[in-house]
Amino acid sequence: MAKEIFMPKLSSTMEVGTLLQWFKEEGEEVEVGEPLFEIMTDKINIEVESYEEGTLLKKYNEVDDEVPVNTIIGYIGEADENVPNSAPVPESEENETDKQEEKDTSSVIGEKKEADCENGEKVRATPAARRVSREQGIMLEEVEGSGPKGRIHAMDVISSKELAQSIRHTPLAGKVADKEGVSLENVQGTGSNGKITKSDVLSASSMQVETTTQEPLEHVKLKGLRKAVADKMLESARSIPHVTLTAEVDMSAVVEVRKSLLPIIEKQTGYRLSYTEIIMTATAHVLGNHRKLNAALIDNEIVYNKSVNLGLAVAVDNGLIVPSVPNVQDKGLAELTVACKELGAKARKNKLDPVEMSGSTFTISNLGMYAIEGFTPIINPPETAILGVGQMTDKPVVRDKSIEIRPMMVLSLSFDHRAIDGAPAAAFLTELKERLENPFGLLV
Amino acid sequence: MREITYLEAVREAMSQEMRKNEDVFILGEDIGIYGGAFGVTRGMLEEFGPERIRNTPISESAIAGTAVGSALTGMRPIMELQFSDFITIAMDQIVNQAAKLRYMYGGKGKVPMVLRTPSGSGTGAAAQHSQSLEAWVTHIPGLKVVQPSTAYDVKGLLKASMDDDNPVIFYEHKLLYKTKGDVPEEEYHIPLGQADVKREGKDVTIVATAIMVHRAQEAAEELEREGINVEVIDPRTLVPLDTETIIKSVTKTGRLVVVHEAVKRGGYGGEIASMIAESEAFDYLDAPIKRLGGAPSPVPYNPELERMHVPQKEDIVQAVKETLNRA
Repeated sequence: MAKEIFMPKLSSTMEVGTLLQWFKEEGEEVEVGEPLFEIMTDKINIEVESYEEGTLLKKYNEVDDEVPVNTIIGYIGEADENVPNSAPVPESEENETDKQEEKDTSSVIGEKKEADCENGEKVRATPAARRVSREQGIMLEEVEGSGPKGRIHAMDVISSKELAQSIRHTPLAGKVADKEGVSLENVQGTGSNGKITKSDVLSASSMQVETTTQEPLEHVKLKGLRKAVADKMLESARSIPHVTLTAEVDMSAVVEVRKSLLPIIEKQTGYRLSYTEIIMTATAHVLGNHRKLNAALIDNEIVYNKSVNLGLAVAVDNGLIVPSVPNVQDKGLAELTVACKELGAKARKNKLDPVEMSGSTFTISNLGMYAIEGFTPIINPPETAILGVGQMTDKPVVRDKSIEIRPMMVLSLSFDHRAIDGAPAAAFLTELKERLENPFGLLV
Repeated sequence: MREITYLEAVREAMSQEMRKNEDVFILGEDIGIYGGAFGVTRGMLEEFGPERIRNTPISESAIAGTAVGSALTGMRPIMELQFSDFITIAMDQIVNQAAKLRYMYGGKGKVPMVLRTPSGSGTGAAAQHSQSLEAWVTHIPGLKVVQPSTAYDVKGLLKASMDDDNPVIFYEHKLLYKTKGDVPEEEYHIPLGQADVKREGKDVTIVATAIMVHRAQEAAEELEREGINVEVIDPRTLVPLDTETIIKSVTKTGRLVVVHEAVKRGGYGGEIASMIAESEAFDYLDAPIKRLGGAPSPVPYNPELERMHVPQKEDIVQAVKETLNRA
């Protein structure tokens, strides 16, 4: 009996996986535990091992396919077994669809129509709009609907036709356009009320020549990690009202702390303590007093987290991944340094486990190695805040009415204004600044 | 022209006919000295006597059976049900006898009778005395169904119903009894199956029945101030239905809102909406058809809830705006 190969669900947020490569061809022998294929989730690349022994009988999906989790992507079994030619729909999914249909047929029909629309197969238009489009010979696909869900009304078809006919131009411009083979729709008019003149047509015509002689541009399709990052950023930026606060911190005391702890920790662990770990420790400490910022906003509910798990934004080739350091509030600087260095290295080698990338409750993004002062970091959903760390530079500051040179650093806190208001966010950032300027407070 | 109430118009139509036609008589509960539950027959006993204004026992089945029998033998009875909810008791006589006999006997007999009965909510009469069950009788071939909305219409339509050789179910709305309108003193006839355009407009068609005709007109006035031009059509008779007038209007406006007081589910609005979807007007529809009707619950006894149960002016305004994407 042939066994199905499923697209695995590797984390609670994973909905689709992108197939990066098959390690086996159809007809090849597969052992239990052998890598069978590699996928990209919203967080990570991972090799998936075979649960079965036998022959890879069928592969339903190609490289770069985006496949919903728990979909059958292939079969393993005896060499001569028969399997379906196209991927079967999993039973559970079918049942769910049935149930939904029973619940509300109209909504299912509505969804289907919308999907059709996205595939470009069907246009949502009223009977009257269809009649007008038939009579006037206008393609509905080219009309923008003004109704709900983009529904095209008769008026939309009429105004689209009027728009198409309403290009105003001088008679001479029309002649020149014909001669030069320039479409007036693409010409910007400079005459009165946007009327297109002869010179507009000529300059458009010369521009056309310029663009056509240009080298073809390089097009790279968004895929894999780039696509995952793009989707996540868009979702966050589009759905979360971000507000960013900045505060400049005098890092003199932190510099001292690092100087004195660096040899101790290096001797104990072999890793060098960096400012990031000290900022993390201080952040975890202060988050303990500001639980609103160590929270998640999920489905109109604010979920307060108990432990402080800090996500650490790490730049990797062609993207960004965020490993999570769990329970920072309970870790000493030595333990934290080891955890951070190991996760960072794994991240850069693309060897992170999905579990190492989930569960963060607050994220820190450090651009301190670049010439960056402050920035507006984008929240890592469902978290409610993210801290951006800028470069530390010596700056003149006023202390006791005289000017001194101090190592200064800007912290940028972006927060989700749905969950947090300005005052509590400002209070958090103020306390964090105080803690970094006086790290002895960490011992309290 | 002289102004009288809807109730007076009903009485006048019957009295004028009874003076002319000896075959017409009325039967019902307490219609004599008491003058009927709403006073429609008040004073008629004195003029026409107990032979023609006949009090009956409290049995709607007996009233209907008597009406069917006397109609078959050549009389032209008008039977009154105190509340249209009680038609349930008369249903076998109406559905299985009155509606069928002319057909089953190949036209050798006929049943020229009118069943008059008040329907609708709004009087605090609770769930068993407030329903609008007209859709039930529209389903039965052999019955004509009339729902007048004004004093003028009620007189002319009742005359036409009394003249008809088939059983007619004639719904009078309780809240309309006291409304006034210009009504000619002489007899006149409004043909069954002729809708009335109560207001002309070009943006949206509202088809409304009974009391909803008035709410639709009020909504139309409010919408006019926002530049929305509404056409209000009162079908006046559900069976036969003047499909031509409705189709013509929807072809002009491209948008249709159907409003009735009866519960929306299974209500006659579904018939009107389907008729339009099947008609020539389909190609002119520029928005989904909207139906407004009563909530799917018994009519509540609490006055606030009773009001919420049925479409109000604001609901109609909202529905019209939705069909125009202006909500």
